[in-house]
Amino acid sequence: MCSSEETDLLRLEEVFSTTLARTISLILQPLLLADPEPSDPCGKECLRLLQQLHESAQRLWDVTEQSLLSLRQRLYHPPSMSLEAVLLLNNADYVLQAHMEYIKSYTDCLVVQAFQKVSKKRSEFWRSQRKALRQLLSSGSSEGSVGTTLCQALRQPLAHHVQKYVLLLLSLRDTLDEHHPAQQLVMHAVTLFGNLQSFMQQALDQAMATQALWHSLSSRLRDVLCTPTHRLLQDSQDIPVVVTPLRAERVLLFDDTLVLLQGHNVHTFDLKLVWVDPSQDKCVLHILTPEDEFSFCTRDPQGQVVWQWKVTQAVCQALCGKKDFPVLGSGREPSVPPECRCLAYTFHREGRLYQATYDGEWSRAKPHGKGTLKWPDGRNHVGDFYQGLEHGFGICLVPQASEDKFDCYKCHWREGRMCEYGICEYGTDEVYKGYFQAGVRHGFGVLDSAPQAPQPFRYTGHWERGQRSGYGIEEDRDRGERYIGMWQADQRHGPGIVVTQAGVCYQGTFQGDKMAGPGILLCEDDSLYEGTFTRELTLLGKGKVTFPNGFTLEGSFCSGTDKGLYTQGVLDTTALPPNPSSTRKRQLGLGAFPVESRWQGVYSPFRDFLRLGCPGELQEALLGFHVQSSRELRKSQEYLCCERSHPKDCVGSMEDILKELLQHRKPKALQQYLRKVRHPCGLSWIQLLQTLMLTFQATYSGIGANKHLQAMAQEEVKQHARELWAAYRGLLKVALLRQGQTLEEESMETRDLQVHGLLLPLLLPSFYSELFTLYLLLHEREDGLYSRGIANLSLFPDTKLLEFLDVQKHLWPLKDLRLTSNQRYSLVRDKCFLSATECLQKIITTVDPREKLEVLEKTYGEIEATVSRVLGREYKLPMDDLLPLLIYVVSRARIQHLGAEIHLIRDMMDPIHTGGLHDFLLTALESCYEHIQKEDMRLHHLPGHWDARELW
Amino acid sequence: MMAIRELKVCLLGDTGVGKSSIVCRFVQDHFDHNISPTIGASFMTKTVPCGNELHKFLIWDTAGQERFHSLAPMYYRGSAAAVIVYDITKQDSFHTLKKWVKELKEHGPENIVMAIAGNKCDLSDIREVPLKDAKEYAESIGALVVETSAKNAINIEELFQGISRQIPPLDPHENGNSGGIKLGNQSLQAGRRCC
Ligand SMILES: Nc1nc2c(ncn2[C@@H]2O[C@H](COP(=O)(O)OP(=O)(O)O)[C@@H](O)[C@H]2O)c(=O)[nH]1
Ligand SMILES: [Mg+2]
Repeated sequence: MCSSEETDLLRLEEVFSTTLARTISLILQPLLLADPEPSDPCGKECLRLLQQLHESAQRLWDVTEQSLLSLRQRLYHPPSMSLEAVLLLNNADYVLQAHMEYIKSYTDCLVVQAFQKVSKKRSEFWRSQRKALRQLLSSGSSEGSVGTTLCQALRQPLAHHVQKYVLLLLSLRDTLDEHHPAQQLVMHAVTLFGNLQSFMQQALDQAMATQALWHSLSSRLRDVLCTPTHRLLQDSQDIPVVVTPLRAERVLLFDDTLVLLQGHNVHTFDLKLVWVDPSQDKCVLHILTPEDEFSFCTRDPQGQVVWQWKVTQAVCQALCGKKDFPVLGSGREPSVPPECRCLAYTFHREGRLYQATYDGEWSRAKPHGKGTLKWPDGRNHVGDFYQGLEHGFGICLVPQASEDKFDCYKCHWREGRMCEYGICEYGTDEVYKGYFQAGVRHGFGVLDSAPQAPQPFRYTGHWERGQRSGYGIEEDRDRGERYIGMWQADQRHGPGIVVTQAGVCYQGTFQGDKMAGPGILLCEDDSLYEGTFTRELTLLGKGKVTFPNGFTLEGSFCSGTDKGLYTQGVLDTTALPPNPSSTRKRQLGLGAFPVESRWQGVYSPFRDFLRLGCPGELQEALLGFHVQSSRELRKSQEYLCCERSHPKDCVGSMEDILKELLQHRKPKALQQYLRKVRHPCGLSWIQLLQTLMLTFQATYSGIGANKHLQAMAQEEVKQHARELWAAYRGLLKVALLRQGQTLEEESMETRDLQVHGLLLPLLLPSFYSELFTLYLLLHEREDGLYSRGIANLSLFPDTKLLEFLDVQKHLWPLKDLRLTSNQRYSLVRDKCFLSATECLQKIITTVDPREKLEVLEKTYGEIEATVSRVLGREYKLPMDDLLPLLIYVVSRARIQHLGAEIHLIRDMMDPIHTGGLHDFLLTALESCYEHIQKEDMRLHHLPGHWDARELW
Repeated sequence: MMAIRELKVCLLGDTGVGKSSIVCRFVQDHFDHNISPTIGASFMTKTVPCGNELHKFLIWDTAGQERFHSLAPMYYRGSAAAVIVYDITKQDSFHTLKKWVKELKEHGPENIVMAIAGNKCDLSDIREVPLKDAKEYAESIGALVVETSAKNAINIEELFQGISRQIPPLDPHENGNSGGIKLGNQSLQAGRRCC
């Protein structure tokens, strides 16, 4: 059964439908025909608006018909349609939408007075239609112009209709009991259509106010401002404001823009980019926009409140993109506009950003957050912004004069300028990877010339305000030279070393990029030159040459026209061979470049990082990042999301890293932990280590693999270990601090212990190949003699060798040998002391000096064990017995480059062992090494001689 | 806690004069709690109190054979003291001793304490070197001298006590350190000569 209310509803819809049909045919269609092909833009605009209204009316009619249909079905076939399935209840929003659309189209026409304008075109026709029109209007038909009549005719039926809707729905609700399934739906519809009434009222009011506004403006201003979508929300003529520092006679708040009028000038601000700031002064309101900031000053606080509320709500509504429903300020969005917005804007003021377009996140009217800034010249910055400036990571492309070339800066920025770590790939194909400050290179950095440059180079070192300054290495690939030393103002200046491809090594002082004053030069053949030199490294003027055999030549030198060195001087042939430590093994650079200050630029960003408490978000800026094949990325469009090691992850994980650090404080655990964390993003000091490796290679590999640099390299590795230990302690301190704890002081002894026991073994693999090469070169000659010694000794059968070395017979492990029938000792080789020999050979399987020493200790143990076995009792070997046996084992182990090994172990050994067991073991090994180099080991007692004599 | 000072001591002298025996006697004939694990009889340690310090002797044996003499500098570099041993029954061994002293004066570490031990004093009936000779010689070079017998444990302790007394006490300022002070470090620098 259907209630009478439902029947009434049906009736209502029937009436409305009919009215709509008539409105369309009587008004809208004739209006469209009034001027079907307008010539002026205004006419075109009117036509468009009327078409839009026609469509909206058509649609509203359709929806009404649908509603009607569902009501009819309900009425005539109640079982087939429940009350709650009726369109009006079931889909009230849908019905509502059609109404709102119509209201919008209608008010748009109203704002530009479309009806008035068009009706004038066919005034005759309208006069004839007046009667019909009047029928559309309910009561009290007004006697106005045609335009006014049309306005009413297009609005009144709708208003009535909605009003009836609400009333009928309310009485329908009263007929339903509380639990009726439609109860809720009816209530919902009541609310909706109730709201629609308010909406309609506001829409009309705004439209009327806007329409009225145009009359109060000069025609010029009207032309600029008058658009059908504009709605005036507030006018300073109603609530006056004084604007400062901009001048404005009148302020208009539209629903999309804020407009300041001054004479003929119109200043329009997009509301989406307006931020409102109340001030302490109750009568003042600050308005922030991308390029202007100004204040509104009202007469009284109430005025300020109204303006603030209106502007704020208008901004919210503008950002939301649709009209608040039912009225301004009651939108679903929160009524405070978000601080942070994502929008595009083109700057038009003269200045840095002139004509640049920023597309991205804003806050308080400034680019803030992620965004892209594009200049008309093609410059392009993608990245993080802060209060209007590039700040944080960003990629900037700067096009170069020649097409297709551009400089690409992948950097960290601070206040609009490059700062901290960055990678710059220039259009010239030069690449800089390093630190910046205030937009220029500053701190540590590596500059690579273009690979095809006429004079290819690489500079690895320190910078100051854009120039090479401080300690730095430059490789000149063209000349095959490497400069290691001090720089100032982009020039070599101060102490410096030059090493060349040919193995020549020069040390002297530079001034303004040139050698100045005396220097020394060491040749590959170990001759030493002292004096002043030309750029081509030849002696000039007074000088002295010391030849490897000790001869000296002192005099005045000059280079002749053809190649060669000319001198007038004295050749001294009586001198003894020179002291190796001043020629063959001379070490350069030790006093000139104190190891503590050599790579400050690498350590200091890490120290800053610690000082700031390891802020995860600064990790990358301070410690650098890793870009994979940046060139390829750049070509593709995705170059912008440069593949860094996910800085976001780092931010999160810094906390974890520090926590984990605390869980691994025991020496064993720490060692394993540090070893394990070899992830670029993992322990931040691994990044530090990587940079240190880079500097080490830049100095000591390739041309720099020169024996005269061994001491420098060695002390550098130890310094790195000390610094990295300090870095670890720094991290630990931060980690503890975060837990409210403090790090206990550590004595110098424990520090040395950790540096040598923990850090050096950990670091050595990273530096080993370069470092070992230097040892190898430095001890090349001794290792050569030693090699000949062991080659010679290897010709001896075991027993002959034991005999030759004067090992006491009772200590010979004869049981290990097969004896021949006539009791002669066989020619068996490599059987005696095999276990000790094999043990010693393991010394080259590790780079850790401590492990090497442990191998050595085991070797002695094996020798003693073998002897004890032979003697059948425990026997403690005194040195008289031990040394010959050890020489035997060393000669059999045939370890290559033993001299280099020994010296490296000694240099890297913990000083705590000095004088102790490990020192003793190493010294014993070294003495064997020395002994094997001796002449009688290399030259005499050739086994060939006595072999033939004694055995056969 | 008493500061421990490590003192490297190297043994020099002809083969057979009793170097190894002296060390064995010194290190093992006593309360054994101070004996450290050693490598054979070639490297031994023993800690003894001296005033308010503890002296840990790190005793390095050397091979006495003539042909290894040239390797000796490696062993005595960085030594705080050298114990140079001769056999009172062998004039030759006293002669060798003089050569060692000369070498140490020329190439040894600066300020090395030299202690001369005339060993096998239990065999004084077949003595070849009069004590007076040794004393005069020692005085002339500013060395300690004592006649010992490793066999009968005569003057062994005294020999090392004598060395202890010759070691200058630590700088009181440095003594404030909680741990020990290593002599090794300073002597290492003195001994880092190229070879
Ligand atoms: N009678 C006697 N014999 C000794 C003494 N000290 C060592 N010897 C013996 O002298 C020989 C060599 O001793 P050793 O310690 O091996 O001398 P090294 O070659 O100098 O180390 C051994 O036979 C010892 O027994 C001692 O004080 N008195
Ligand atoms: Mg011995």
